[in-house]
Amino acid sequence: MKIKKFSFRKFASHTILIIWSITVAMLVVWMVIASFKTNKTVFSQLWALPEKLSLVNFSNAWSNLDFGRYTFNSIFVVIISVALIIIISAPASYALTRMKMKFAQPITFFYLAGMGIPVQLLFIPLFKIMAPLNLINSLPGLIVVYVTLSIPFTVFLLTGFFLSIPSELEDAAYMDGCNEFQTFFKIMVPMATPGIVTAAIFNFIGLWNEYMLALIFITGKENKTLSLGLYSLYSSLQYTSDWVSIFAGSVLVIIPTMIIFIVLSEKLISGITMGAIK
Amino acid sequence: MKRRRYIAWIFLAPSLIMYLYFFVYPTIEAIILSFYKASGFTQNPEFVGFKNFSKLISDDSFLAALKNTLLLLVIGGIGIFLIAFIFSLLLGSGIKGKKVYRTIIFFPFIIAPVVHSIYWGLLVYNPRKGMLNQFFKLLHIEALAKFTFTEPKYVLWSVIFIVIWVSVGFYLILLMAGIERIPPYLYEAARIEGATELRMFFNITLPLVKEVLVIAIIFWGINAVKMFDLLYAFGGILPPRALWTNAIYLYIMGFGKRDPIFQLGYASAIGVVTLLLVIVISFIIRKLIRREIYEY
Repeated sequence: MKIKKFSFRKFASHTILIIWSITVAMLVVWMVIASFKTNKTVFSQLWALPEKLSLVNFSNAWSNLDFGRYTFNSIFVVIISVALIIIISAPASYALTRMKMKFAQPITFFYLAGMGIPVQLLFIPLFKIMAPLNLINSLPGLIVVYVTLSIPFTVFLLTGFFLSIPSELEDAAYMDGCNEFQTFFKIMVPMATPGIVTAAIFNFIGLWNEYMLALIFITGKENKTLSLGLYSLYSSLQYTSDWVSIFAGSVLVIIPTMIIFIVLSEKLISGITMGAIK
Repeated sequence: MKRRRYIAWIFLAPSLIMYLYFFVYPTIEAIILSFYKASGFTQNPEFVGFKNFSKLISDDSFLAALKNTLLLLVIGGIGIFLIAFIFSLLLGSGIKGKKVYRTIIFFPFIIAPVVHSIYWGLLVYNPRKGMLNQFFKLLHIEALAKFTFTEPKYVLWSVIFIVIWVSVGFYLILLMAGIERIPPYLYEAARIEGATELRMFFNITLPLVKEVLVIAIIFWGINAVKMFDLLYAFGGILPPRALWTNAIYLYIMGFGKRDPIFQLGYASAIGVVTLLLVIVISFIIRKLIRREIYEY
């Protein structure tokens, strides 16, 4: 009796979890299927597989709709941004947690408070500050915005990691005559690698997917990022009715984050776990 | 070697300079600007005191946006944490494939919000043509086969559902991390005493996961209030009025949709109210869930 009840519970749990998982799988499967269809059949034969496996929607999106260019813009902006975010946030997090500096606590709080600021509040003044610096409609300008706005969350994650590193190694390094910089680069950075990787993945995914800031600070077609390009195409849909290009564009946007997720999801998940819970 | 404390400032300087100049300074500027009337980037702003704020109170579009923001925050939050807790219980009971399920449930969180808008707007909710209507048609449930999920009356609920579906995985990971830290002997002891699963959840799991829960809820509150990408892209050319939140209304008043509006002072006032909302939320959550740390 007891065993039977137990297995029913397992059966019910699996059913719920499998149904939810199917809804997740549908997102990818139907996006991909739709991206291979034609505008004529994409809705009229919603449940059917594509007639033939032709990449015409992708090549059309890539060259005619400029998604190739957008992709390169995105790669350029996101990779440089993520690198800079780590380069400036990791030493800061180390200083705030490990170097016994004055005012470490209030400064940490001051950084973390940035997470609570609604980004939209910054749109107008930031636009005013960046215009005279010629940073509007420029990829470096977008990088500046991305890097700055990512500091609070990255510091939040990384301070958690630096706090969890035992201090013996650090003390030993100083005793062996390392200076602050050597200790940081040779001892602390390798120890904090899981945290740095998590922060990098998190920022990569967030910035790759974001289009709101790009919509404000990128005014010209040639500088659009991939997500912004997709948004623009989608918002002009009522003039074009070109659905399949939108689906092909969506698949292009999904591919990099999906690859990263498949390869690194375990690292990402354990990183969130360690970083958020101290 | 003697540690030199001033070196810490060298480590801090690059991020601090950027943070101060491109984050803190514009925040202060925005707060100041909310007391000015400024239309356009070239004109000189004119000081108007609290006029922008008093105008907000009588602005029906703003009040509707505020209501939508709060609905998204509260209903979305309840949905997310309820489902995340249920999943954490299902996954915590020694079920096979725990990691696989967890990874799949987390997956939508890493997909671009604009892609979610496209997928749900065009393929799922699309009236008559979309998967939901077609699915109910196959099942011969006529009422739902003809139901328009995106009509103004229901569109916010349809979108809140998407937001829950997208976000559950992230909060599930946080909760599970907190739950897994609870030492198993507490449950064993309770089981010996004859406690039911439900009692164990309320008397052991919930109090001991509190600390993580506070962080998670505040995180949700902040993200809900500034959520933009998914909502703004929903509906394509412009989001239906029924979907406008503070964040969207601020953008529209500041930068316009097709045509620029540039009511910069007024838009900043919306931002300041939103900021106050974040502060109040964090405060309420901390008050509601008192931070007694249980030692174990």
